[in-house]
Amino acid sequence: MPRFARKGALLRYLAVGLALVMVSSCAVRTDEIARDPNSVRIALNGWVGYEASAAVMEHVLQEEMDYDVQLVRVDEQPSWQALDQGVLDVILENWGHDDLYELYGPEGNDTVVDGGSTGNEGVIGWYMPAYLAEEQPELLTPEGLRENTDLFRTPETGDKGEFLGGAPGFATQDEGMINAFDMDLEIVYAGSEAAQITEVQRRYANEEPVLFYSNEPHWIQEELDLVKVDFPVYFEGCDDDLEYVPCDYPLYDLNKIFRKGFAENDDLAYRFLDNWNWTNADQNEVAGMIADEGMDPEQAAEAWVGENRDKVESWLPEGYETRTQ
Amino acid sequence: MAVTTQTAATAPDGAVADDSRGVWRRSWFQALIVLAVLLAGYASARVLGNPSWAGGFPTAVGDSFMAWLDGVYAWIVENRNDSPLFLYFFNYISVGLGSAVVLINQFLDFLTWAGVTALGVLGAWRVAGWRVALLVLAAFGTFALTGLWNESMTTLALIITSVSIALLFGVPLGILAGRSDRFHRALRPVLDFMQIMPAFAYLLPFVLLFGISNPAAAVVTAVYALPPVARITAMAIRQVPEGAVEATTSLGSTPWQILTKVQIPLAKRTILLGVNQTIMLAVSMVVIASVIGAGGLGDAIYQALAKVNVGQAFQAGIAIVMLAIAMDRVTGAVGHGAHTPQIPERLRWQVLGGGVLIVAAVVAGARFLGLGGWPRNVAVDVAAPVNAFYDALQSAIGGFTASLSTWLLDWVLGPLSALLTGTPWWLVVVAAAALGWIFGGLRPALVSGGSFVAIGLLGVWNNAMDTLSQVLVASVVTILLGVVIGVLMSRNDVFAAILRPILDAMQTLPPFVYLIPAVALFTIGRVPALVAAVIFALPPVIRLVNDGIRGVPAGIREAAISQGSTKWQMLTKVELPMARASLGMAVNQGIILVLSMVVMGALVGAGSLGFDVVFGLAQNELGLGLASGLAILFLGLFLDRVTQGRRAPSA
Repeated sequence: MPRFARKGALLRYLAVGLALVMVSSCAVRTDEIARDPNSVRIALNGWVGYEASAAVMEHVLQEEMDYDVQLVRVDEQPSWQALDQGVLDVILENWGHDDLYELYGPEGNDTVVDGGSTGNEGVIGWYMPAYLAEEQPELLTPEGLRENTDLFRTPETGDKGEFLGGAPGFATQDEGMINAFDMDLEIVYAGSEAAQITEVQRRYANEEPVLFYSNEPHWIQEELDLVKVDFPVYFEGCDDDLEYVPCDYPLYDLNKIFRKGFAENDDLAYRFLDNWNWTNADQNEVAGMIADEGMDPEQAAEAWVGENRDKVESWLPEGYETRTQ
Repeated sequence: MAVTTQTAATAPDGAVADDSRGVWRRSWFQALIVLAVLLAGYASARVLGNPSWAGGFPTAVGDSFMAWLDGVYAWIVENRNDSPLFLYFFNYISVGLGSAVVLINQFLDFLTWAGVTALGVLGAWRVAGWRVALLVLAAFGTFALTGLWNESMTTLALIITSVSIALLFGVPLGILAGRSDRFHRALRPVLDFMQIMPAFAYLLPFVLLFGISNPAAAVVTAVYALPPVARITAMAIRQVPEGAVEATTSLGSTPWQILTKVQIPLAKRTILLGVNQTIMLAVSMVVIASVIGAGGLGDAIYQALAKVNVGQAFQAGIAIVMLAIAMDRVTGAVGHGAHTPQIPERLRWQVLGGGVLIVAAVVAGARFLGLGGWPRNVAVDVAAPVNAFYDALQSAIGGFTASLSTWLLDWVLGPLSALLTGTPWWLVVVAAAALGWIFGGLRPALVSGGSFVAIGLLGVWNNAMDTLSQVLVASVVTILLGVVIGVLMSRNDVFAAILRPILDAMQTLPPFVYLIPAVALFTIGRVPALVAAVIFALPPVIRLVNDGIRGVPAGIREAAISQGSTKWQMLTKVELPMARASLGMAVNQGIILVLSMVVMGALVGAGSLGFDVVFGLAQNELGLGLASGLAILFLGLFLDRVTQGRRAPSA
């Protein structure tokens, strides 16, 4: 059947031709991916505080402003990359990451913009259960801790004390602090926040000693009675050498990061997210409902929005009603 | 001594061994000698005070390799929207795929839950019969009642996209490999590579090339799921009887006609089984892809775990198990062609048309009523009882499991890790090559030795040795448990009938679900990772052992009984030796599956290579992440070659 073969050849020419036309006519930038102008794509980082913020934003955008919200779960660093590639529109709670801002911000790729503070303040540090600190208050100072590292020995770390590290995506300087304060500790990398918290909960239930990386705001702080070890206060430049860090973690003023195109569009969704600003207590209230009471994030957000109408009203941009009409 | 009369593996090629030296020829004995040499090397290195020439592999080459990869990474980040390579190639793919997933998802939304269910159930009935249709209905019911309808649809959209890509490339590759020996030889190592490389390890490069979220997830899933369909298609084409091909050739057909009129139709059934395997792999990968921002059920599990809510994660896990089982039965039934409804030839179009009409009517009706996804508040909560059970379990056996964990660390994992990391690197390389030679021959020996040198050159020697110690211990536990349970299963039909669905579920339940309970019971660190790996790798081992023993011909069994064998003799002298091919495959599969859990284990504190892969992914450190991923691949090559024995033809 020669007719058959000719048809095949024709198809092949067509395909090659089409490919050539496509290639020569337009260069594709990653931000040209199919996107609904009515949708807002929010990065969802892996801790419950963030999830609380995201749930409230999602609720208002969806229910009161009729946007379609997609929450995409990614780690911190890849979230920035996603903004750069135009796959996501906003990071709601950014902890520092000056290096990434340099890379993707106005000085670098110029694809993201700083959206200003969320109103939340972030604390990172070394924590232990309160029952431990009550028995031996000296554990809360670097010197006292250095003397008592054997308290934290586990089969996993042998003759060194165990320090439970945070999730791999988090910013850490623990190794440098251990070196600087000359502590006989070994970091066990939990590999995920969930695994770390499970272990802390287990030890807490058995009233065993445990020393670990954590942060505030965080729902675990509401559930367990934890205290933070007092290290010398952070000063500019003390964490330049990550092998030797003679101070505590810095305080973070948590901020929002927008995709530049999203901010330039300046639609109602952007204006709303830009207006949003709340306190640690607000976030903890929502986070506690999600983590402790096991509520769906949506339900928790709905409950909070119902009780805090005035705050929500103050974030809503002018003319938002037009979207639902 | 339960050594069989058939020597486990004969001496290596070319080595003329004297029969009178009996014990020297046995491979287990030779392996023990290798172990003794390792111990001696470890001891002498310690006595000498661990000088640098007798320590780990120098890291200079590895460090510069990682730095180079980090440079590549930085270049890509800066040039993604400038370089023609991206503008005209990668970005096309990522934009196309990302859009495809979004569009399919929107289409499923458009159909509403009622329409999707009608379409799925009727389709399943047509291709696989009413039993499977009921199963599909149950699966959709599970999606709805767990409150995860939208997530399930997202997962479905992602699976459809990635399976389509896998088939688009896999089937033609398989056909080419089926028709050309040279192409087959070139393709095989590539497919091996794709199957041994742990999925986590190549997430990062794909994210880099195709962009985070759906595009990369679709590509990664397609890559992961492609090997079986390519392999099985090649095999199916090769199995088409020569006679049929020759007869057509003599009638003057063109090669294209032979392919489309003879080879593909005759191989269709087998190819469909390959498609089935590909879909199953896609289902499991879609869950892992949630780590790079793929939405859906995997993401639901991942989010539940962030809150340490085991019950909620389990609920989403059940939805995935149902999705996997339904897809398996549908595609499996298409492959076997069994149980399809008997529809006369002349009515086929009418039945199809009727089906389309019903679905259209349901969709129209549902849209008229304003339905969309299943309402979330109509759901059954199984999370609470599961959480209660989990808490009870923890308080009941938590103390025992924790001390078991301590024992394992002190007496098994600790010493083995110390042995492997403390022995001079060149001695470990020689030992690996020797093991390859003992169990495989010359080529496996070269591959094994080469793999270890490559690991050293990657600059991750110490981590790799620590990971190897964990993999070895987990493999031994898996194989021991697997053989015991497999033997019990082959003895007792009732036990087998109970066990089979449990194994099905265990195999499709995403490991994410049992990682956290493992931590709660066994304390954080290497042990929960080991437990999770054992759970993951156990089902296929049990199945293979069971199948192998049940496959022993009844005649041979009866002969043994008539000669007065006891049950124990029957097992050790007759059944296990006869089932050796299956046992060998079970060992190989078990080890490779344990290895594929290395990265997953890092999520609960296993550290070493797996952690560096996770860390590289989370912190965008391509060098560290990729080097560690490749090291896992080389460990896999070594373990695979050593345990594959002589069965693999060297061609």
